[in-house]
Amino acid sequence: MKFNKIALLFVALGFNTMALADINVGVTVSTTGPAASLGIPEKNTVPLLPKVVAGQKINYIILDDASDTTASVKNTRKFISEDKVDLIIGSSTSPNSLAMIDVVAEGTTPMISVSAASKIVEPVDGPRRWVYKTTQNDISMALATAEHMANNGVKTVGFIGFSDAYGEGWYQAFVTAADLKKIKIVSNERYVRTDSSVSGQALRIVGSKPDAVLIAASGTPAVLPQKTLKEVGFKGAVYQTLGVANNDFIRVGGKDVEGTLLAVGPILVAPQLPASNPVKKSAMVYYKVYEDTYGKGSVSTFGGHMWDAGQVMSAAIPEALKGGKPGTPAFRAALRTALEHNKEVPASHGIYNTTPTDHLGLDQRSRVMVKIENGTWKYEPLN
Amino acid sequence: MSAKLTSIALAVFACAWVFLPDFTVSLLDYVGIYAIVVLGLVVMTGVAGMTSFGQAAFVGIGAYATAWVTTSSFVAENLGGILGPTFLPCVGLIFGLIITCALAWFLGLITLNLSGFYLPLCTIAWGLSFYYLFGNLEFLGGHTGITSIPPLSIASYSLITPRSFGCVIWLIFFLLLWLMHNLLDSREGRAIQSLKSGRLMAESMGINTTSYRAKVFMLAALMASTSGWLYSHFQRFINPTPFNLSSSIDYLFMAVIGGAGYLWGAVLGSGLITFIKSYLQDIIPAIFGTNINPESIVFGLIMLFILQYYPNGLWPGLVKLFSPLVKSKKKSSIERYEPSQLSSRNMPPKGTLILNAKGITKRFGGLVANRSVSLDLKAGEIHALIGPNGAGKSTFFNILSGVDFPSDGQVELLGESMTGKVARDFATRGLGRTFQHVRLLRSQSVLDNVALGAHLRGHFGWLACMLRLDRREECALQFEAIEQIRRCGLGGSEDTVASSLSLGKQRIVEIARALSGQPVALLLDEPAAGLRHLEKKDLATLLMQLRLEGLSVLIIEHDMEFVMHLADRITVLDFGTVIATGSPQEIQKNPRVLDAYLGIDEKSEGSL
Amino acid sequence: MNWDIALFLGQDGLVSGVIYGLLAIALVLVFMVTRVIFISQGDLVAYAALSMASLGGTKTPGTFWLLIFLALIVLCTEAWRWKRGIQIDWKTTFIWTLFFPAIAAFCIFLLPPESVICNILATVFIITPLGPLLYRFVFRPIANGSVLFLLIAAVTLHGILVGFSLLFFGAEGWRISPFTEQAFHIGSVAIKGQSLIVVLVTIVLVALLFVFFEKNIFGKALKATAINRTGARLVGIPIEFCGDLSFAMASFIAAISGILIAPLSTIYYDTGFLIGLKGFVAAIIGGLVSFPLALFGALLVGQLEAFASFWASAYKEVIVFTLIVPVLFWRSLRSRHVEDDE
Repeated sequence: MKFNKIALLFVALGFNTMALADINVGVTVSTTGPAASLGIPEKNTVPLLPKVVAGQKINYIILDDASDTTASVKNTRKFISEDKVDLIIGSSTSPNSLAMIDVVAEGTTPMISVSAASKIVEPVDGPRRWVYKTTQNDISMALATAEHMANNGVKTVGFIGFSDAYGEGWYQAFVTAADLKKIKIVSNERYVRTDSSVSGQALRIVGSKPDAVLIAASGTPAVLPQKTLKEVGFKGAVYQTLGVANNDFIRVGGKDVEGTLLAVGPILVAPQLPASNPVKKSAMVYYKVYEDTYGKGSVSTFGGHMWDAGQVMSAAIPEALKGGKPGTPAFRAALRTALEHNKEVPASHGIYNTTPTDHLGLDQRSRVMVKIENGTWKYEPLN
Repeated sequence: MSAKLTSIALAVFACAWVFLPDFTVSLLDYVGIYAIVVLGLVVMTGVAGMTSFGQAAFVGIGAYATAWVTTSSFVAENLGGILGPTFLPCVGLIFGLIITCALAWFLGLITLNLSGFYLPLCTIAWGLSFYYLFGNLEFLGGHTGITSIPPLSIASYSLITPRSFGCVIWLIFFLLLWLMHNLLDSREGRAIQSLKSGRLMAESMGINTTSYRAKVFMLAALMASTSGWLYSHFQRFINPTPFNLSSSIDYLFMAVIGGAGYLWGAVLGSGLITFIKSYLQDIIPAIFGTNINPESIVFGLIMLFILQYYPNGLWPGLVKLFSPLVKSKKKSSIERYEPSQLSSRNMPPKGTLILNAKGITKRFGGLVANRSVSLDLKAGEIHALIGPNGAGKSTFFNILSGVDFPSDGQVELLGESMTGKVARDFATRGLGRTFQHVRLLRSQSVLDNVALGAHLRGHFGWLACMLRLDRREECALQFEAIEQIRRCGLGGSEDTVASSLSLGKQRIVEIARALSGQPVALLLDEPAAGLRHLEKKDLATLLMQLRLEGLSVLIIEHDMEFVMHLADRITVLDFGTVIATGSPQEIQKNPRVLDAYLGIDEKSEGSL
Repeated sequence: MNWDIALFLGQDGLVSGVIYGLLAIALVLVFMVTRVIFISQGDLVAYAALSMASLGGTKTPGTFWLLIFLALIVLCTEAWRWKRGIQIDWKTTFIWTLFFPAIAAFCIFLLPPESVICNILATVFIITPLGPLLYRFVFRPIANGSVLFLLIAAVTLHGILVGFSLLFFGAEGWRISPFTEQAFHIGSVAIKGQSLIVVLVTIVLVALLFVFFEKNIFGKALKATAINRTGARLVGIPIEFCGDLSFAMASFIAAISGILIAPLSTIYYDTGFLIGLKGFVAAIIGGLVSFPLALFGALLVGQLEAFASFWASAYKEVIVFTLIVPVLFWRSLRSRHVEDDE
């Protein structure tokens, strides 16, 4: 009955040997489950993050939360109570990150999220004072997309997205953006990541005769609607979202995804950015180190978010050290404060300028338009 | 588990609660939340035999109900002023339970009548539907979910920390465990256990299987809903992902690993799986590095190992390990004896017409199993039904006991027409029966099996049983069962597991079970099969005693010697029709009977 | 909705339905003979498709190494059992542990990798022995358990196989180019050559299965075991061999299904579960005993999906799974009878 469990627990306590003088960072990402294509490059970036900052050694503890909100919360509690971390980075999906907010606030531990929803950091009050993120807000990407559409004469748009938080968040952002640019959304379809066919949805979209179609999905499942639309005879422009920004998408999509347009963080086409682009230098740092480690063509924007979390953290640590020693609540509070006073921190997705009311800190410099040409990503100057 | 051992364990747990490290307490909170759902599953799947893949949907309903109540502006406007933060979650709980009740009733109506595998598949169906429904409803936050759910609070003290919240979780769990234990240890519990072995036997004991199945289903749903309420106020954020099919599968998994038929298996399964998963998270990266994530593979392999060596789950294995320390309570040592608690009926005077079957015809498609069969049974007589195999005797029996319906003709029991009535109604009016293929609860004791027959003589319902208000009646029921067991010559075997008895003795147990219902008519289907000579003599003596007491007995038998010395009247069936009725002497001389069944003595034929 | 659209959707639904049908047949077959609800059938289909994709990219698929690993484990187990005095069917053991893997190795390493035919052969020889090996590893030792117990074991196995799938193939999807780009036009609707191949191959497979069960002695033995295990044992049918054979047939069907499905859509490491689930739904419509009804159920699910995705794509899954309920109801009513024995 309970005896065995208690014995096991005492054994478990023996596993707790963490050096408390160093800075400990807990990372929870989804390396398995539906969000694995986001989590794996994020996890792969962790070994590339700074190991020493301002003379302090940094330890990273990585846990998988299998794209499950309960697991991400469990991991967070583990980090706070067992590993006594000073900072938490995660998680890969918006629901996972949202779930973690209350826990990190109670544990007075700052958190940097690598998932997209703006709700994670807005408005900065209550528990969200402890939460930061390094992903562009959907609305800014949606605006860039809508702007490109408007500039190219698109008046009507068909929408198809994932039947989950990503698709939902994008739809809401795009509705606002389209409204601002006077573009009408004529169809709103959804599909499940594991679907093998979206013929019904594609037919509906084509039937509503849009000038362009926006697909809000992530990873290679985003190929399916694009392929199907082509099959049913759609000839207009197809826009995708930053969820597809990796080379697997092109590999699976082949010639069906030629000409795709999307608004994405600059890291994707770092080598192609003009020298005058303010983000180029810092983006190339990550681009080079990731491809050197994992091979040419392996870089993805998701890993970039993790890299940026590392940069933002490193920029804040020297200031935080003035407030206390690592491993103490004072240090964590100081880190929290330092994170909201970052100025012009260059990273792979943009340049971060945080304030007490803006825990993201990205601006226009954090997005570019790209197009798929000849099987590669091509930088399109935003006009 | 005995009460003493349980109290010690609980005391140790309560003390340890204060000292355990924070994260362990967090994990134990999750274990508790899961264990509540799994407890319901144990009762539903392990005990009553209804497999459900949809429990996570009910957890979701409980979670969303309270999340909406405590975060919606609509509710805040109308109720926020009246009820403080303490009571709003309680409203959320009640609201969730009400919706769950309604939904479980509705779904039960549709799915519980499905037999075999259709039920689990249906549970998968609505489990999946709910998941997608939750995700698509705007006011429930869609896929992104609902944030900032307030915690539970008592007066001004907020239960935010896992340690404080865990007290609520485990209190609720142990309360539910106690209630379930009481329920299963009672008359209603026996009835629930009979659901697993099919409808036929249970209905013949007077148990409304449809209603019981619905109640068990609703019970499991309500427990899942409570777990959802706790989850909501613990996580303080919900979205649809925890309430999908894989969570439902996880719950079932925990039930089977812990021991599907055992209440304590719920906490064992939940605890083991939660802690193993947590350890693997720590240990695997140390062994395999961070490049790959083989946790699920290692976890699966461990589970496969457990399944292979502990097919009944880990709880029975654990009990066996500790069995020298634990003395199991012998049930048959009952102190008080109060026969007046049970309802009893007056036996009708000798010669009264008990059972009257008129012109029964039964067709199965083109085959006519019974053709215009008429038979009557009077109080204080033993009437035998004989005939070659395939003559239609068992079919006729099924019709006489309400298990099947005649295509033509009617059956009257104590003068009342039973057309359209089911086996339950027959049992209520005093018909007891045994079965050709023995239908006992194989893993239960003889005492529990026989006490099942007295189900209709007890009154206390589910709630009373859970709250232990039925103890005196339960004593009476058990005493009645012991009485019948002794009467049938099986005294001393009360605590024996039914499946360990020989087939012949199992048939006697069935008779004892039928007798504990205090029947006016007893239908016995080949009771002497598998009995030795002396045992048959004892059976005959018993039947003759019953006849003296005014019982009427209808018996199908193949042992002619047994029948001829026992029966007052014999009816002979062949190819679905009655070919002769009369006293044993008349039957033995009837040429049609001799021709069809009994056979002619060669020597005597030659000498004629 | 007009005729063109309806025909398009119908074609789409037919192709998915046919794939679900193959899955359903395999599920019914395995269940009837061994009482195992083999939900990993979907995983094997995904394995086959992903192996094809790997081979197409001239990489040795991880499934091949899994096969070798399993073969070694099973060989050791059988040797250990033989030492304990249990009678071992060495002939079939060697077929699954040595013969098939050897041919697979031959196809992968010695034959030209660009040839589609060689890839198909290699895939078939990798995936087919996986079934009986998994049977021996997981299900044979617990063969006498209740159906629920076997189902939980199958669920556990599914978790393990998905874990391996992620390890071997990564989180992103794979697809291969269609066997033929041809399309025939009837009116304004294009009928893809690829779809025709899928339907034709399925018809041939179903016909072969029918002949097998009716005419071949092994098929009849399988049928007998399905109808009455104890009776089959009494007349000398080796039921363990039948279990072996039914799993082998199921994984062969999985291999073919995977090869057919790979050009049609992108396959992920966890695609197996949902298609397996839909195959399961179809199998249940057939009551887990009837092949034709299972096929019918599968076609029904395929059509429901195609049209539901047109009418209300956000609620597609809700519609498909809710509409199954009345069908189940109807099936359950039709199989009502007085219980004879449990």
